[in-house]
Amino acid sequence: MSATELVTVTVDGREVHVPPGTGLVETALAAGVEIPVFCYEPRLGAAVGACRMCLCEIEGMPKLQAACTLTATNGMIVRTAQTSERAAEGQEATLEFILVNHPLDCPVCDKGGECPLQDLTFRWGPGNTRMTFPKRTFEKPIPISPAIALDRERCILCYRCTRFSESVAEDGQLVALNRGAESVIATFEDEPYLAPFSGNVIELCPVGALTSTQYRFEARPWEIQNVPTVCGLCPVGCNIQATTREGKVKRILSRNHPEVDEGWLCDKGRFAFTHLRARDRIADPLRRVRRRGFDVLSWDDALGEAAELLMQAQGRIVTALSGSETVEQAYALGRLMRAGLGAHTGVLPEETSPALDAFRLPLSAIRDAELEPVAERAPIVELWVKAARRQGAQVEQAGDALEGCRRLADKRNALGKSLRESERAILIWSGEEGAGGAHLAALAKELGFAGKPASGAFHLPCTPNGRGIADAWAAASDDEGPNPEPIGLLFVSGDEAAADPNVRALAERAERVIVNAMFQGLAVGWADLVLPGTSYLERDGTYVNLEGRLQRLRRAVIPPAPDELAWISKLAERFAVEVSPHASAVFAEVSERIYDGLPFGEVGEEAPLRTRSEAPAPQLPSEPAAEGKGLRLVRYRPLFSGPAVERVPELQFQRPAPEVELSPGDAGRRGIAPGETVTVTHNGTSLQLRARITKSLREGIVRIAAEHAGELGGTVEVAK
Amino acid sequence: MAIRELTLAHAGERDLSKLAEYQAIGGYKALAKARKMKPEAVVEQLLASNLRGRGGAGFPMGRKASFLAKGTGKPTYLCVNADESEPGTFKDREIMLLNPHRLIEGCLVTAHAIESQNVFIYLRGEYLDVFEVMRRALEDARKAGLMGDVTIVLHRGAGAYICGEESALLESLEGKRGQPRPRPPFPAVSGLYGSPTLINNVQTIATVPVIVEKGGEWYAKIGPEPSPGTVVFSLSGNVERPGNYELLLGSGLRELIYDLGGGIPDGRELKAIIPGGSSTTVMTPDQLDTDLDFNSVAEAGSQLGAAAVIVIDDRACMVQLALRSTQFYMHESCGKCTPCREGTRWMVQLLQKLEDGRAEQSELDLLLSVCDRVLGKCLCALGDFAAGPVVEYVRNFRDEFQRHIDEGGCPFGGESSLEGTFAPVDQHTHAPVAEVPA
Amino acid sequence: MNLDAIAAIATEYPERQSAILPALRLAQEEHGGWLPPEAIREVADALDLAPAQVEAVASFYDMLHLAPVGKHMVEVCTNLSCALVGAQQVLQAFEEQLGVAPGETSEDGRFTLRAIECAGGCGRAVVVVVDERYREPVRPEDVPGIVEELKRGD
Ligand SMILES: Cc1cc2nc3c(=O)[nH]c(=O)nc-3n(C[C@H](O)[C@H](O)[C@H](O)COP(=O)(O)O)c2cc1C
Ligand code: SF4
Ligand code: FES
Repeated sequence: MSATELVTVTVDGREVHVPPGTGLVETALAAGVEIPVFCYEPRLGAAVGACRMCLCEIEGMPKLQAACTLTATNGMIVRTAQTSERAAEGQEATLEFILVNHPLDCPVCDKGGECPLQDLTFRWGPGNTRMTFPKRTFEKPIPISPAIALDRERCILCYRCTRFSESVAEDGQLVALNRGAESVIATFEDEPYLAPFSGNVIELCPVGALTSTQYRFEARPWEIQNVPTVCGLCPVGCNIQATTREGKVKRILSRNHPEVDEGWLCDKGRFAFTHLRARDRIADPLRRVRRRGFDVLSWDDALGEAAELLMQAQGRIVTALSGSETVEQAYALGRLMRAGLGAHTGVLPEETSPALDAFRLPLSAIRDAELEPVAERAPIVELWVKAARRQGAQVEQAGDALEGCRRLADKRNALGKSLRESERAILIWSGEEGAGGAHLAALAKELGFAGKPASGAFHLPCTPNGRGIADAWAAASDDEGPNPEPIGLLFVSGDEAAADPNVRALAERAERVIVNAMFQGLAVGWADLVLPGTSYLERDGTYVNLEGRLQRLRRAVIPPAPDELAWISKLAERFAVEVSPHASAVFAEVSERIYDGLPFGEVGEEAPLRTRSEAPAPQLPSEPAAEGKGLRLVRYRPLFSGPAVERVPELQFQRPAPEVELSPGDAGRRGIAPGETVTVTHNGTSLQLRARITKSLREGIVRIAAEHAGELGGTVEVAK
Repeated sequence: MAIRELTLAHAGERDLSKLAEYQAIGGYKALAKARKMKPEAVVEQLLASNLRGRGGAGFPMGRKASFLAKGTGKPTYLCVNADESEPGTFKDREIMLLNPHRLIEGCLVTAHAIESQNVFIYLRGEYLDVFEVMRRALEDARKAGLMGDVTIVLHRGAGAYICGEESALLESLEGKRGQPRPRPPFPAVSGLYGSPTLINNVQTIATVPVIVEKGGEWYAKIGPEPSPGTVVFSLSGNVERPGNYELLLGSGLRELIYDLGGGIPDGRELKAIIPGGSSTTVMTPDQLDTDLDFNSVAEAGSQLGAAAVIVIDDRACMVQLALRSTQFYMHESCGKCTPCREGTRWMVQLLQKLEDGRAEQSELDLLLSVCDRVLGKCLCALGDFAAGPVVEYVRNFRDEFQRHIDEGGCPFGGESSLEGTFAPVDQHTHAPVAEVPA
Repeated sequence: MNLDAIAAIATEYPERQSAILPALRLAQEEHGGWLPPEAIREVADALDLAPAQVEAVASFYDMLHLAPVGKHMVEVCTNLSCALVGAQQVLQAFEEQLGVAPGETSEDGRFTLRAIECAGGCGRAVVVVVDERYREPVRPEDVPGIVEELKRGD
């Protein structure tokens, strides 16, 4: 914006120039003046002016004003508590009133030391208390979910948490009850706050009213370290802060990346970290002795054993990847297997397509779009879509991925037509189908998005680094080789692969199996050799998220066993391949090949999005082979599933019920009412599931969470 | 001093709730006249009349109507504030009960003036009798084809004083908790459902037909210049003949209490007067010669407010009075902003201690300091409504407050007219969590 | 629960949520004068809201009851104008006649007695509201008659 479009505001005698409409709190900050706030949080929507902490004097207005509710206009003269005695009195009044009923139990409060209320009281508050009456008292703390505790005595009623629930997550579950001095934060009938983003209220709370049950009495702020890294549990790649104390992760906080997550986290990202300390975590290499027994091995012996197994397979090796490996790990493994052993067959967790890179946009662009057909399931993306809808975007359910692609590409389709005409249209797809987004890219191209910088397409992968590992595996060697038959050795990399029924099926056909996993439950019983795995919180390296953004993972804690890069490097040495045990060095090599030589150090704390690339011409999907009558089954991976989630007690209540989702039409025709038990049949196998009727589902499609879908696939019949 | 009836004209003699009766006295003629005028011309008349809002703040109605945002592509709404719950007021109820068509006609004329098709009357939930009368009158007006393209929705509140505050009223009408919104943006720009909205009191709207009928200039000339016209005064408390009296603004306080109201009963002495409802500050007998209009009452150090005159005789303990008034505001504070929510509760605790004779000298100062810390710092005016009067009770009746401290108890010794008054603050049954005693 | 009635009310407003107070009023009438959790749930379903949002609204307003109430509701205004002319004597008379304290319901579930804030009848104090109908003015000596009348009507 040019200087002529700025307005001039004077804050405590200092002039600043800001775009008109800038909030006064931000304007003051630009002038180097801090206006203290409690309830103000622009991410929650319009300011509410509730706490009155930000009172300021504005020339021309007789009363003190809540700065948070005002915006900069030209010539405005603002005096904050720093220069106005009245404003200072106002602030002191607010603090006194807030503290009148606050328990002041700071010594036993988890928020102590990082509490805005403490800080502001320290700086501006009264030194003594004039309140001599009994304070309001409540039963405390009360659980509002297994993961969150509420202490109503500490609550200052800033309504941040309820505003989040109402206007960001739109779950409407956390509310204020009663009126006046009796107001309290509550859920309906004390039922648990069951919603995928509930944990954000902990971070939003400016006092210790909403705390994490996992973090309760776990650490004091002066004994912790915060490590900036990236969540490794889904392809969004939210930026996080891992709080550690004495080498243990104690909690996960958000680290606002305005283009990726806007500072929100899903509950999986926030609470699942305790899987690091799962009871069945593997700390030492294990070798199978008898049919079901295992021996603990030393690392030297384990590496010897692994080398032996690799050697014996004579190149007839298949590597199954999880999608949660770092780029470096996948590359290193690729070097070992492909360059070292000539074993080029990798089983990737999903298909990915570089064609989408031509339609790349930051996730935040979703909020600003005007038209969005969606066929999505991904945590934070859902919040961006909600924000878009609140801003007036037209959000359309596109049905299921493949069919939606074909329909919208049709020139006669009305929605397709609007998409061609719009300058700000975004396609949001997900699912295991669709050639990893190649079909979606084809649709985007067909709709003319290539020439529109604000239009784009997202295909949400299923795994956190599915795109990164595909690229890294490919970059590890230029050679190719045939698929081995029979399989001499199956190398299973990571717990997701170990939990995948397809990988288990491969193992049946393999002579020998090596599993690299974190959890006993997943590895023991079918592996000949088990090498301990690590988590994203224990690794250094990079991930590529669903936008195609390269992001930096930092080791927050030392794993109980050497990390993958360390032993892959040692193993590779035995096969005369040079692989560094250091992520930085491995990245340098990968980067040389596929990331234009970008230095590791420049991946950055707040990673930028790479620019759009030219895309190869993709293909629109052809008519699928008719699969007979019935309903098409879409299997999906629910947010609250997977090996990590299964090991976190606080998340069990979030896991999906054994349900089949039906459209109202399909349910109606079959006389199925919500909640009824129905039988889902395919090819003679059948399952009993509870029916859930979903308005957003198109007719002809049913959805079942993969963990409840058993062997079902293709088309199914559903009956009472 | 004379009764001068405009909004209540003929209401004493005839049953104006019947459409035919209302039409017989010239009802709905103003509507016909207005509909022949351009909307702007009607607004001109309102501006010329200098009609000031009757809901309490006294803002000129024509100006407010002219602020409405134009060309937004959104509908314009008219909301009638019929939430009347200020202690001491009962005029809107009477207007609606006795002359419902006057309000409906006012709505239709105003809707025409601001080019609105949607009118909402936010009616105090407790007014079941009014609801029935208004519903019937609306039905009759509809059947008689008077509505044109306008719909009037009668929306009942459910018991919350704060919903009389205009932005809380809008929140409540939108189906939310009735908590005030920060302003700007003002309702004229972003009101109901984010659209331009005009909000006026029942009496304000009910006055509009007269202005259109007789002309803005005619109206501007009756009564004192800065605030012309008539107001329905609600007279209550210790007077012989309490009730509603429609008078010209500028009428004398003494005449209202003594001539019309018949003075203080049982040979008691006048002790204090609250001129505009419990949110306005107390006046003393030496101010009896104040004229009842916005400016004169303000010069006397109080506010005309909603023109609800409460008369207090010498049996009343002013500490008890202040306490009971503050209990009301504590009970009605919405709980959104800190000073109002916490301050009213603290004030009640301090006043109770004073009344019980347990307070120390410093606590009287503390009470004033707490009031000062509420005043001018809240999101809406409720905080001021609570704290302002307390300061004035203390200032005007300091001796009485002092005696409570010095004598270690109420100097009325149980003989105060307010002795033992029970306030609903103690009986909230909404709380899902038990408040554990300290 | 009368879903059609709620749907009809909702059409009067540009946005459904506006129908929440009328819907709660209906629900309260159908559930014996108060709003048990299932009533809240029904209103929430009818208006496509979360039950917590509906409870948040219901708990804000004095006329919506989240705990059981008696068959008859007797409410005495004790705000200034009424208090100045004897509201507490009227309230006391009801306490004696009904045998319950303000805020309580008689053991037989027939009467709930409440003190309320200004009812808007200050000129005809003391205002007593019996089952939503105003009785004004009421003096302490009128109370036995009112109670008698209510008991007879049952
Ligand atoms: C706490 C509070 C309660 C109010 N209650 C009422 C009320 O019951 N009726 C009313 O007309 N105005 C009430 N008002 C004033 C309204 O906010 C608003 O100013 C008025 O409806 C505007 O109408 P008017 O301009 O016609 O007076 C109240 C204001 C506050 C701050
Ligand atoms: S719990 Fe915390 S976030 Fe919620 S209102 Fe209270 S202080 Fe604010
Ligand atoms: S009552 Fe809460 S801000 Fe006014």
